Parts: sequence; C-alpha cells; structure tokens
Amino acid sequence: MVDLKILAVDDSPTMRRIIINTLKRAGFTDITEATDGKDALAKMKVDNFNFVITDWNMPEMNGLEFVSNVRKSSEYKKLPILMVTTRSVKDDIIEAMKAGVNNYIVKPFTPDTLKEKISQTIESIS
Amino acid sequence: MSETVMVSSKIHEEIRELTQSVDRMAEAFRTLQSPIEESRKQVPEATMQLERINKQTEEATHRVLDMVEQITNDAGNMIQDLKALRKALPATYFKNRSKVRDVFEHMEKVASSSQENAFAIMDTLQFQDITAQQMDHTAHLLDEVETKLHSIKGLFGEEISDEQEEMVISKKRAFDPNARYQDSSESQLQVDKLIESARNGLQK
Repeated sequence: MVDLKILAVDDSPTMRRIIINTLKRAGFTDITEATDGKDALAKMKVDNFNFVITDWNMPEMNGLEFVSNVRKSSEYKKLPILMVTTRSVKDDIIEAMKAGVNNYIVKPFTPDTLKEKISQTIESIS
Repeated sequence: MSETVMVSSKIHEEIRELTQSVDRMAEAFRTLQSPIEESRKQVPEATMQLERINKQTEEATHRVLDMVEQITNDAGNMIQDLKALRKALPATYFKNRSKVRDVFEHMEKVASSSQENAFAIMDTLQFQDITAQQMDHTAHLLDEVETKLHSIKGLFGEEISDEQEEMVISKKRAFDPNARYQDSSESQLQVDKLIESARNGLQK
C-alpha cells in the first residue's frame, strides 16, 4: 500500500500541505499535488498515478467534474478515487458516487480516517 | 361659472397635485440615490476586506505549519537518536543508574508527546480551509448585493461601466455554503452508511 503513487488535488494550499504531511506520516512518499481538476488532468497526462485524493469545491474545474472526466477514459475506469470535502449532504454523496468516486471523507478529517479510507478503497477495488 | 370652466379648473388642480406628487417622488429618489451609491462603494470594500482576512489567515496558517513541521522533524530525529543511543548502550547500562534511566525515559516520553501534539496542531489547522470557504460564501453574497445595487443604479438612469459589471461577474469563488468546523466523526459515520447503501444501489 505504501508504494502508491498518489495525486492530491485541492485548491487550498493549507489542505494540500496537511494532506501531504498526513500521507507521509502514514508512510506514503510518492505524492504529487494539483490545484484543481484542470491541473490534475494535466498532471495525469504526463504521469501515471494509482490513487487520487480530491476535494470537491475548486475553481476552474471542481472535483465532481474532474472525476467525471477521469472516468470517461477507459484507462482510469478502475483508478481508486477518494473525495475529501466538507460536503456531507446525502444528495451530494450520491452525486459523487454516481460521478465515479470510490470513497468519501468529511472535512475536518483525522489521520486515522484518511489511512482507513485509503485501505478500504483499495480493498473495495481489488 | 360655466360647467366647462369648472371642469377645466378641476383638471388644472389635479395636474398641479400630480406634478407636486411627482416632484416629491423625484426628491425621494434623489435622497435614496446617495445611500445606494454609498452602499455600492462600500460593498466591494467589504468584499476586499474579507479577501484580505482570508489571505492573511492563510499566510499565518502556513507560518504555523512551518513551525509545526520543524517541531515534528526535530522530535522525530530526537526519538531516532534516543533509540540509536539505547541500542548502542550495553543492556546492563541502566541497571545501577536509575537516575540516568529516569531522565532517558522522560526524554523519550517528551519527544514522543511533542511530536503527537504537533501533529494534532497540524490536523486542527484544517480550520483555515473551512473558514476560508465560509468567508468566500459571505463574499459571494456581497457580490450578489453589489450586482443588485448596480441594477438599481441602472433604474435611476445611471450607466454602469462594462468594467464594473465584469469585475463582479468574473470573481470565481469555490465554496461549500454549509462548510462548518466541527467534529466530523458523526457525519463520517452517516456518510459511510450512505456510501454502503449507494454502492449496493449502484450495483443493482
């Protein structure tokens, strides 16, 4: 699991830094950051990631649009995607799942929740 | 007095009253224009102030993060050094040195708790993203007020420059209007249940 190549997408520099620190604490070292969906798609064109953590509310391209775009490509049908957001309304979660999100974390999150959801997401896909 | 003259006089009287009434309305509009103009100038000021607060809070949060990272690294190095030292010392080293052992164990404990506390501070700093979203939501509401004030000014016949119009429209804000900084464990449990049932539903 520690060998994952992770793409962390969030428009907030604070959140990106906290997520990266939390991931490093959990033993993950190969992490790339992106500032929004558009930036993430650009980074996915030049690099192969095997796990994505994304926020929902972002300018340019939000998390939902980003996930829908990713899922359009057959190459990324099985790419594990974890959404980390403040949104916890039922309709939002269903919308995210329909867009292709595999798992969902509510902000503010704990490091244990992040670790647990990463393992859960990988297990649910394999 | 003939009937025609009486009607004409009445019409004159009513026209005079109508004119006075229109004058009073025009005066009322003129009186209103000033506070509307004032508000139209103040709303962008308030929005800019919120943006400044957001930026400063973010910068301060990053300074705290710099220090927290420094503490976690230092504490981590100290934990590693103490481990290495313990390994390097003979197994019987602390046998007749209880005072040294106590100090050593205390240092291990302090290094470990300092690291844990620093990590806890880092986790708490997620508040900055959440309050930034709350402020973006407020700024968005102010943008809407500004747009409405522009429309009212338009009703008064004043032209709003394309530049002013564009400034309001072009502000892209990404936020969750319901973002709250609170213990999310309960929400997370509910989300987990929803995901489970959504997964089952999507599989059917």
